[in-house]
Amino acid sequence: MEYILKNGIVVDPVNKINCEKKDILIKDNKITDKVSSKAKIIDVTGKLVMPGGVDIHSHIAGPKLSVGRLYRPEDTRRGIKKCSEIDGFEAGYSLPTCPTTGYRYTRMGYTTVTEAAVPPLEAKHAHEEINYIPNLDIPTLVLFGNNWFVLKFVKNNDIKNLALFLSKWLKLAKGYGVKVVNPCGSEAWGWGKNVHGLDDPAPFWDVTGREVIHALTQANEMLGLPHSVHVHTNDLGHPGNYHTTLETFEAVKDIKKNKNVKRDQILHGTHLQFHAYDGTSWRDVTSAAGYLSDYINKHDHISCDIGQITFDETTTMTADAPMEYDLYKLTGLKWANKDIEVETSSGLIPSIYSKKAPVSTLQWAIGLELFLGINNPWKLVLTTDSPNAGPFIRYPRIISWLMSSKKRDDMLDNEVHNWAYNRTDLGTFDRAYSWEEIAIITRSASSKILGLNDRGHLSVGAKADIAVYDIDVDDFDPTLKENSSIIENKLLNSLYTIKNGEILVNHGKIIKLVDSNHLWCNVKGNEVQEEKLIKNIKPDFNKFYTVQYANYKVPDSFVKPEERYDVNTKIKE
Amino acid sequence: MTDSKPITDFDRIIENCACSYCGNNCDDITYLIKDNHIVGVRNACRIGASKVISDQDQRLKNPMIRNKEGILEEVSWTKAIDETVKVLKESMRPVMYGWGETSVEAIKEGLKIAMKIGAVIDNQSTICHGSTIQAFQNIGHPVLTLGETKNRADMIIYAGTNPMEDHPRHMTRYTAFPEGLFRPNGRKDRFVMTWDPRYSNTAKCSDKWVKYNHDEDYAFLTALRMAVNNHKLNKKVIAGISAEEIYKIADQMKNVECGSLYFGLGLTQTLAKQRNIDILIQLVQDLNKYTKWAMLPMRGFFNVNGFNMIMTSITGYPYGVDFARGYPRYMIGETTTIDLLNRKEPDVFMAVSTDPGIQFPGQTLKHLIDIPVIQIDTHWGPLTELADIVIPSTRIGVETCGTSYRMDSVPIYMKKIIDKPENCKSDEEIFNMILNKLGGKN
Amino acid sequence: MNENKLNVTINTGTSVIQDLYERKGSTLKDEYRQATAVAFMDPRDMDKLNLKPRDKIEVKTNWGEVVIYADKSHDKPHQNMIFIPKGPWSNIVISPETYCCNVPTYKGIKGSIKKTNKPVLLLSQLIKTNYNKYDVIDTRSIEKQELPLYKKMEEEKND
Repeated sequence: MEYILKNGIVVDPVNKINCEKKDILIKDNKITDKVSSKAKIIDVTGKLVMPGGVDIHSHIAGPKLSVGRLYRPEDTRRGIKKCSEIDGFEAGYSLPTCPTTGYRYTRMGYTTVTEAAVPPLEAKHAHEEINYIPNLDIPTLVLFGNNWFVLKFVKNNDIKNLALFLSKWLKLAKGYGVKVVNPCGSEAWGWGKNVHGLDDPAPFWDVTGREVIHALTQANEMLGLPHSVHVHTNDLGHPGNYHTTLETFEAVKDIKKNKNVKRDQILHGTHLQFHAYDGTSWRDVTSAAGYLSDYINKHDHISCDIGQITFDETTTMTADAPMEYDLYKLTGLKWANKDIEVETSSGLIPSIYSKKAPVSTLQWAIGLELFLGINNPWKLVLTTDSPNAGPFIRYPRIISWLMSSKKRDDMLDNEVHNWAYNRTDLGTFDRAYSWEEIAIITRSASSKILGLNDRGHLSVGAKADIAVYDIDVDDFDPTLKENSSIIENKLLNSLYTIKNGEILVNHGKIIKLVDSNHLWCNVKGNEVQEEKLIKNIKPDFNKFYTVQYANYKVPDSFVKPEERYDVNTKIKE
Repeated sequence: MTDSKPITDFDRIIENCACSYCGNNCDDITYLIKDNHIVGVRNACRIGASKVISDQDQRLKNPMIRNKEGILEEVSWTKAIDETVKVLKESMRPVMYGWGETSVEAIKEGLKIAMKIGAVIDNQSTICHGSTIQAFQNIGHPVLTLGETKNRADMIIYAGTNPMEDHPRHMTRYTAFPEGLFRPNGRKDRFVMTWDPRYSNTAKCSDKWVKYNHDEDYAFLTALRMAVNNHKLNKKVIAGISAEEIYKIADQMKNVECGSLYFGLGLTQTLAKQRNIDILIQLVQDLNKYTKWAMLPMRGFFNVNGFNMIMTSITGYPYGVDFARGYPRYMIGETTTIDLLNRKEPDVFMAVSTDPGIQFPGQTLKHLIDIPVIQIDTHWGPLTELADIVIPSTRIGVETCGTSYRMDSVPIYMKKIIDKPENCKSDEEIFNMILNKLGGKN
Repeated sequence: MNENKLNVTINTGTSVIQDLYERKGSTLKDEYRQATAVAFMDPRDMDKLNLKPRDKIEVKTNWGEVVIYADKSHDKPHQNMIFIPKGPWSNIVISPETYCCNVPTYKGIKGSIKKTNKPVLLLSQLIKTNYNKYDVIDTRSIEKQELPLYKKMEEEKND
């Protein structure tokens, strides 16, 4: 199929196109510079045209979601309605059903969404759920930070075998990148404990979070994976934790980036808002966003996403299980936990972020401070760590806050608890994001940081993933606070969402459903060494796990259709 | 099948197969094959092996429809599917029940039918661990995978469950006996306790048997929870157990390094039902203030959990999902099978890979006398005697491949081992045929 | 109280041998009946009713009555409590009541038992007698009733 998206106002930061009137030509699944006379013209005169949205960190598929839905039917009930356009229904709010997740992201103009935490033992579950989610490209990040084999390699400082292990395990789990969550802390939770800071070793293992992060970063760069290590640092949600965050960033500074990768960072710090607290307790807690923004402004080896609080009743879910038990002790809400042999623990708990609650508003303000304090938008990505800080359908609302300092000031003055004003510097920022900056933090930067270089821009030859919004760019002032609800509504319901050259959304309505792609990373060239490694660790594997090695991998039939990223890196023997 | 002398007459060995019996889903089974028949099974328990070898006299081999004389009569596939579609199309309140012994791939296709015809779709949770799921929804869900017990647990409790009978390899492969990283001496490194009114075979293998009085489980669990939280018990004897003993148990539980609690129908099917599990979850939550504890329900059928998983993925609800209004509803006691049948509400009943004739109370079954019953299964059973349409399917993990979820939600991909009987079709295929014939909107 | 009658609490549940035949799929056969249509009793209760192992008893509750075998329990003493493996026989006497919580009442049912000479029915007879959905009389010999009753297709070829 061929299309001409005619007369749109294009925002394409990679190509330095900033709100220019331009036609975008599509042939089959790519953007092109020439189409035949048969091309269908779609008139988008004056409307905002961007590359398809790319989410770098969201929880959309896998065991955590199932546990959440199983034990929170009240959340399913909250979002339930008939959905006539696709002859089906939507259900769920913070825990939407798989099909609903696809519908809602598609309507927002998102075309790629990263599932941020998959335990390899249950990777089949994640891939099976991806098969029920329509319309997205989905890379999965695999949990390694508390894996026993990883801990053993780290202890022996055996980076080469660690790299081979990662390479093999990404193949087994059909994963795209390396995720680290509270390294050593989730292992300590196997004994009902946690670690505090980077240098507190896991019980029995005598390995620290610092060592794990350093070694995994080294191994990641040795392999030259498209994405860097993706790190949820230790001490999430604890007052004073920004020290740990900064130490983590410092700890990997000496590692050289693989020369074949196009990204700038060697470590992606995720949901930074949760790691940006100063003080010693919830009584004297204040914002440490300034320290972190400052560090990121001065260093290029770090990228981040925010994990912005959105003032919703939502569900938190993370492999940081000890933190979830802390939240349970704090709130008494219903606590779920799931410990997964050899690999990780994980936990869930409902969370209510209220504008009237001091801590929620402080967290809200810290997130915004980070958005506004980090000068270079290419270093950060808009996320809510969905659904942890809020469900992903709130992204448009966050954008409305970022684009209008007047809206933020109004909220500070009239809506939120005074901690947001008294304990942060949010009130001092008058920065307002431009459409170009919004495009960067929602598609271009995330693609680049993920290493998905075929998207996030509208160059000739790029994937034809495009979002058009019903916003007349030249006649619309996003800085006005009255316009914030209009921004939210328009960005929630795209005029067109095009993926792989197919129109999936037309005027806010889903018109087509396609199977989602499983994106995974295949490091080539070390197959012999990998088999040797497996032979060596198999006795331990069979002793630790309760499934056979032969049945551990995700069968190929689970990842149809797939998009495989081949990386050619030969590791020296 | 359980011959003690080794089987030598076979032409193929297939290893690492998954067992399709209980929620253990053991994936280390070896099959010995000769001429497309399984002649030997290694590593499986007696029941797992008996299921694989299976009775041939009662194997359903052709579709059947009840004739005018009231006798089941073999018919062509076209006729059986046409009749099924006709019955489903004419129905107002169909119930599609079962699913515990088929693959999630098949369940997914069945679910499409339920959505299309506005049926209630439900599984064995409704008569087993539905109460457990309700308790999870009330209180919380602190669970684990089996390997956590194997590697770490120095105390294992079996509460109201008898794995020696209904999950025969649970203790030997996953919990009490195997060696794990932190428990190198296996059974010797662990203390096993059974809570049961009966001196069950599991109790016999335990280090301690705690006998509480029948239907006083709630009192026992409440007292134990009070003891864990250092409250004083005002009675000398509770549920037949001395207060002193209860303090002692609480103390033991607080002073382990890692405890695992497995519980079963002995708690979910007594009168306190989900309230028993409510208190059990709270007990585990409280214990985590002192040390590590996690719990897991002992799920029965090998894929009863897989149904809950796929249903939550696609509909948001775990079982008892009603599509009568075009979107899913889940109301315990209202959209659940036993309640529906007790109220005589359904006008068609379809059973898939399950036999309600074995599971349902007689009074509940009586409604099946008045309505058409469709059975999709591999063997002739009690339900067949009440069925109007019988459709022969295949055995997952033996004749058809597919995915299941173990009791701890670890997904297991089950291989195909031998060819199916000639005129049987897989559940997935059967649902596809029905879907195609159902055509557009009902 | 009538001395031939004993009031009991009935529990049902899985037994390894009943489950074995159920999974094997031989539910029509005597082996399944022997394993499933049986109440495991405290020997002292058996004495009270003058029962020897494999004698027959009639179990009666508010919900129905059924004839099954009696046998000695190997559990610790449990007077006035009988255990029947789950299955078509025990189902007749258990309670359908869910108390609005979806699970019927499988355990702790009040009932009574007495010795009887009535036969323990094979599965197909049991379903026929108890539910009588179709007006069919099985005229086959008793041994043959352990096999399914159905009409074979006439033509050889199926589609």
